[in-house]
Amino acid sequence: MNTMIQAFGLVFAPEVMIAIFASAIYGLVVGSLPGLSATMATALLVPITFYLSPIAAIATIITASAMAIFSGDIPGCLLRIPGTPASAAYTDDAYAMTRKGEAETALGICLWFSALGGIAGTLSLMVLAPVLAEFALSFSTYENFWLAMLGLMCATLVARSSPIKAIAAMLLGLLITCIGIDNPGGVPRFTFGSTDLLGGIEVIPALVGVFALAEVMRALTEREPPKIQNRRLGSILKGQWALTKKYPKQQARGNVVGIIIGVLPGAGADMAAWVSYAMSKRFSKTPEKFGTGHPEGLIEAGASNNASLASGWVPALLFGIPGDTITAIAIGVLYMKGLNPGPTLFTEQASSMYAFYIIFILGNIIMIPLGIIMIRLASRIVGAPRSAVMPVIMVFCAVGAFATGGNNLFAVWCVAVFGLIGFVMEKNGYPVAAMVLGVVMGTMVEQSLVTSLIKSDGSILPFFSRPVSSVLAAMTFAALLWPVFVWTVRKLMTQRPAAA
Amino acid sequence: MLLSDRVTGGAIATLGAAAFFYGSKLPPVPGQQVGPSAFPSLIGALLVLCGVLIVLGVGRHFEEVAEADLASHTAPEYLEPLPAWRSWLALLPPALVMFYALASEKLGFLPTAGIMVLTAALAFGAKPKLAVPLALIAPFVINLIFLKLLRVPLPGGLLPFPW
Repeated sequence: MNTMIQAFGLVFAPEVMIAIFASAIYGLVVGSLPGLSATMATALLVPITFYLSPIAAIATIITASAMAIFSGDIPGCLLRIPGTPASAAYTDDAYAMTRKGEAETALGICLWFSALGGIAGTLSLMVLAPVLAEFALSFSTYENFWLAMLGLMCATLVARSSPIKAIAAMLLGLLITCIGIDNPGGVPRFTFGSTDLLGGIEVIPALVGVFALAEVMRALTEREPPKIQNRRLGSILKGQWALTKKYPKQQARGNVVGIIIGVLPGAGADMAAWVSYAMSKRFSKTPEKFGTGHPEGLIEAGASNNASLASGWVPALLFGIPGDTITAIAIGVLYMKGLNPGPTLFTEQASSMYAFYIIFILGNIIMIPLGIIMIRLASRIVGAPRSAVMPVIMVFCAVGAFATGGNNLFAVWCVAVFGLIGFVMEKNGYPVAAMVLGVVMGTMVEQSLVTSLIKSDGSILPFFSRPVSSVLAAMTFAALLWPVFVWTVRKLMTQRPAAA
Repeated sequence: MLLSDRVTGGAIATLGAAAFFYGSKLPPVPGQQVGPSAFPSLIGALLVLCGVLIVLGVGRHFEEVAEADLASHTAPEYLEPLPAWRSWLALLPPALVMFYALASEKLGFLPTAGIMVLTAALAFGAKPKLAVPLALIAPFVINLIFLKLLRVPLPGGLLPFPW
């Protein structure tokens, strides 16, 4: 009880409240602009969090990401252009509803069920994390190694691209963490005589380059989205309660699927939305209505992507393994703020943990009033000229990296180089999220691998003989072989009709 | 910027080979079997394998499925390709960030950022009526945020921030 009161004290400090409110508005605006993803919104916030207290820093990330995932639905509804990739799965349905003159219902569904999904996700985080923490305390380096590998493999599995390319991208990320002297022997690796490279590549400039600068680059190669017409919208929340009662099963399923996908390392909100939409269609009594402005899929997928957001923090807080790209950034911030992820976080910093839960709940509650204001103002904000927004973001990339890199211009170079790498990779089907997870987890993977090998005198037997370790190893190999299985099944399915 | 799988796969295999050879030459820690060379060599070897598989076109099928899925969910007019020169324009933002790294200490933040914003805004097709005021105001506001809220002094250079 004492820790709970402490947690409330932490959250209701003026600095934290201002941080939550400001980042909520920021998240809503950035998420609603087509082409600016929730991940980009979070990446650009990191330099700011550098100068905040630990709780305020995490609060900005939690709030901004939740708001951005919701407000990504707004341009999807009104323009058929998803504001964030997480909205892409149900953009068709939302836009079809707008064309039928039900824009306020569509936007209301996105808002209402996003908030409910976010709260369900938070509850799962509150229940799952302490239980898993107890379990995780008994893990040694062998288990940590397999857990990290499983996280990396899941990230390649859900990449919606060629699995081989995803694995290559992930390995590239791991190779990047080899740069510098932070390794088991303390020898300079891949530094090519440069003193700047001795310290290794910092995660934050790399993230800003890949997620923010590369987006600016891509925007230059894509056409400007059309303007939203100013339309009068009726009551946003009217009828939402009726829909909540009409589709309880869909909503519950969306929440559960979102939570499960969020907990899976590497799979985030976009994956949750795609899976939930497909599942909703599969189990619906009226699958033919999907894509024509039917609320069912919208409810399920809209709840799912916000639920995944909170549960994505479970592996992040417990093991330092990101649940998605947003928590990949959050892990960087946790380390920066001395809240190193691990099961001990729950015993030693219990009040901070409770504070995170409160922030999640609070964020999802204020999403409703702020979201309504945002929807009303959408035609003005979403219409902000891209030619004014993108240049400012670009300057922010440079200055933000400069400020977090200890006023070091090397960080600015990193942003430029990683922007280029991210852009070229994305254009050629190499998922950058997989590379980023590699960069975030590389040092931990190497440490647990080398320490384990030293403990076992170079034998790989203990990696497979310990009970938990063997299960995790089996899951990792299953994740590796899954694409082969899918490919074989598809092959058989296409051959059979041809033969018959 | 769209390269064939042969090119990117070949590049990955080459990078992997380089990492393998460079990694395997790293000095060991005396008295221990595994040292700093184990991890880079392993990653290098796996990268070579991936690169070769990509060159051979393994896994291409999954990409096609994902692309078709995305295309069916986006407005068709939004996906129409733009002229090829636009893809070269994408090199402008990293070039401008590099310009910041080179020039900000000498020129100072305000002029450097002003030049960056003006160039990028014009490249995005802004009219001078929008681009010029933006280039004058935006750097000022960003400087204010970093100096006053975050207390990060940005380089003064030729035109130091007036307060």
